Amino acid sequence: MKIIKTATILLTLIAGLGLGAAPLLCAQEHPLAKVNATVKASAIQIEMVQAGEVSPPAEFRVALYENLIQEMQKEGGFPKVFRDGDRNAADAPNLVILRTTVIGFKQGSELKRDVTTVGGATSITVRCQFTDTEGKVLLERNIEGRVRLIGDNLKATDDFAKKTAKLANENFSSDDKNSGYKNVI
Amino acid sequence: MIIRFERIALLSVLLSLGTLISVSQAQQAPSETEVVQVIGLTGVKQNTKGSLKVENGSLSFVYSKGNCNVLAASIQDVVTGRDSQRAVGGTVGTISRLAPYGGGTALSLLRTKLDIITIQYRDPNGGLHGAIFTMPVGKAELIKESLLAQGAHTSIASNEDSTAGPTQQSEAKEQQR
Repeated sequence: MKIIKTATILLTLIAGLGLGAAPLLCAQEHPLAKVNATVKASAIQIEMVQAGEVSPPAEFRVALYENLIQEMQKEGGFPKVFRDGDRNAADAPNLVILRTTVIGFKQGSELKRDVTTVGGATSITVRCQFTDTEGKVLLERNIEGRVRLIGDNLKATDDFAKKTAKLANENFSSDDKNSGYKNVI
Repeated sequence: MIIRFERIALLSVLLSLGTLISVSQAQQAPSETEVVQVIGLTGVKQNTKGSLKVENGSLSFVYSKGNCNVLAASIQDVVTGRDSQRAVGGTVGTISRLAPYGGGTALSLLRTKLDIITIQYRDPNGGLHGAIFTMPVGKAELIKESLLAQGAHTSIASNEDSTAGPTQQSEAKEQQR
């Protein structure tokens, strides 16, 4: 009887610890993640990708930037997407500014991918910071672009852009978007 | 005496002709180069084949469905793949090889058997655009030189010391402005 009692207490303690620790563990998974409720935004301005701890070639930064603009126009959910330096952005209400910095990349091998379709993955990690016009950080994440199976490294930039546009779509909303076709039931 | 004078005159004529020919060859307008527009030009799909020409102060990309012109003076940076490799392989490359994620080795965007040229230019509203072209090996440097001659700018001069990193080069560029 005493053994059963001790076992019950132990199990209760273990279960309690497990449940209590779970949210903490989840919180540690994304140290840079700042979960916000959907922020209202009518336009986004995308700045040129910056070199951070690593310095990717110019063509890589340009590919990241151009893909980001294309994907943000398609999937970002913003009625207006402005380029770096566009003077028209100054008049846009609820403007969000996206700053991106390359913080890491892992060189893969296109040949290896073609031959094995398993090895040779290229990945590029970019820090994305969404701010308002006053510089207040609204959302910050590290996003990884990958090319795993077939294709050149350009696909890693495309993958990054798609993920970033999706992230923006989930975290920012505009009046136009809410009244759009997507939300009609 | 007369024969000697004639010889000298003939020599000088030949010399001046040789000079004229070499100058005209150097100034010859660059012919069209077959390229692939990888990404960036407004209204042009990714990986569109066409021809690239630099003339009358602009970069002209002609493809099956039309053409796209960029004023050379609006190009604030033109770099070749070779420039990028030198920049990454220089000081910055050495430092970044120590960085996490295995960063630092030159990350090539595409297959290496092609020349690459990357331009960054501003539209009339000040918006920054980037465009990437690939072409047969050896053509990118010629196009870059033609663009620079017509008013484009670069952050990496072709004859620049390869140990200077892009940060130093962009600082130098800022000082020039």
